[in-house]
Amino acid sequence: MAEFPIIQQLGDDALLVTFAHTISWDVGVRVRSAARRIRDTQLSSVTDVVPAYTTLAVYFDSRAVSFATVSSEVATLIGDADAASDDSSKLIEIPVRYDGPDLAEVAERTGLTQDELIEKHCSRTYRAYMTGFAPGFTYLGDLDETLVLPRRTSPRVRVPAGSVAIAGAQTAVYPLVTPGGWHLIGTTSMAMFDPARDPPSLVRAGDSVRFVRVDG
Amino acid sequence: MSDAITVIAAPPFATIQDLGRVGFRDSGVPVSGLADPESGLLLNAILGNDPNAAMIEWAVGGGALRFDCAAKIAVGGAESILRINGVNADPWLPIVVASGDEVKIERIVRGRFVLIAVRGGIDVPVVLGSRSTLLSAGIGGLDGRRLRTGDQLSIGDHVVTPYDNIEYDKRGSRTNSGEPVTVIRGPQASFFDDAAWATFLNTEYLVSRASDRSGYRLDGVAISHSGSAALPSEPACVGAIQIPDGGTPIVIMHDGPTVGGYPKIAVIRDSCLSRFAQMATGDRVRFAVGSSGFDIA
Repeated sequence: MAEFPIIQQLGDDALLVTFAHTISWDVGVRVRSAARRIRDTQLSSVTDVVPAYTTLAVYFDSRAVSFATVSSEVATLIGDADAASDDSSKLIEIPVRYDGPDLAEVAERTGLTQDELIEKHCSRTYRAYMTGFAPGFTYLGDLDETLVLPRRTSPRVRVPAGSVAIAGAQTAVYPLVTPGGWHLIGTTSMAMFDPARDPPSLVRAGDSVRFVRVDG
Repeated sequence: MSDAITVIAAPPFATIQDLGRVGFRDSGVPVSGLADPESGLLLNAILGNDPNAAMIEWAVGGGALRFDCAAKIAVGGAESILRINGVNADPWLPIVVASGDEVKIERIVRGRFVLIAVRGGIDVPVVLGSRSTLLSAGIGGLDGRRLRTGDQLSIGDHVVTPYDNIEYDKRGSRTNSGEPVTVIRGPQASFFDDAAWATFLNTEYLVSRASDRSGYRLDGVAISHSGSAALPSEPACVGAIQIPDGGTPIVIMHDGPTVGGYPKIAVIRDSCLSRFAQMATGDRVRFAVGSSGFDIA
């Protein structure tokens, strides 16, 4: 096994950098730090730099620049050993009405009252691990251990936009109507994805999120 | 500019697309854009348009447009029966239409997406840098949705060449030659042992009905991967061939998710992506590993 980070080709127009095979917050910090360095350098013909849990991808215009060129530039940038910098994190507060269709079932399965469940979901500051799956969908962790449940056995075909959900050790807001297998515990009116905003995703990897209970 | 084209019979699935939306993948926004950009670029060249001028990407069935002004159009992509005021017309050539003319796609004969381009391009608002429709987010194109009967479209001014000076490579329609689709090894290529690779490369896959602009599912012999299936979700790309637990491939297409957790055995090369995207339900496809991509000419 080669030493991390590993650079691989991801199609004709992209490369993938792998920093680890196991998800951890520290790996994510390194991934995002490297992503920022690549973005800030503004390599010519690079169109997108996308950090994920343990990897990042660099997309480029292969008509203008070769994989070999981008690869060596990226290798130099991420090889800079002590350049890992902390996330310039935003703290985002998301108001939630805890009225989700799965709230009662989740309370029952976790052995909590609904108020206890809500209290536990609101009590933490979550960290944003990755944006993906759908525009503006950001994976947040880690949930209180007592709230950890596997996904629903049968996913919903249509989850309403603004649904606040949990699954495994993660929580998220569905920004748009999509299929989804997470447990829906609440609703927010906050726009998680807004094409008129730059960036369009309200929460991005590296940010922090708190859910605030609201009535009505 | 005033409304110039009326959709008098919408096909089951038509959207406005240009060359796509880059720069927002880190917000989870897929690139979208023409599934067959090769044909789109040729049509825009035929009309003297900006290469990124938006056009109608038309799928699944027949339908008709009425032009409410004089215009120049060109039709290409999938093979279709094209009629102007009831008279058969040829693809891959500029066609002058007059106000009141009806442009009808009788049906699609072969392929998935017919492209209808207009000199000047279809004028819809630019959203996140592109006119491409992304249905899942309801953005781009005409109000972020597919075209409906009764819709009216405006023609833009996205031209780069005076009409009389247009020169283009008259190569015409690419036919689906049946040649294998060339791929490079994907990031998880090593999850698959020699037997799995042999299956992958020797199977003639059928494009499943469960395919759309987000992804094409392929039916055929299932492949199993030897490595651990637990892969943290990682960035994907158009043309990535994923092998989910069921073992039959799903190819990520233009409106597909920006990240995914299924192992990617291979990725379709750019030079074959338009041809692959034009494959319709039931079409047969084989894959072959091509050169590594280091061979930039």
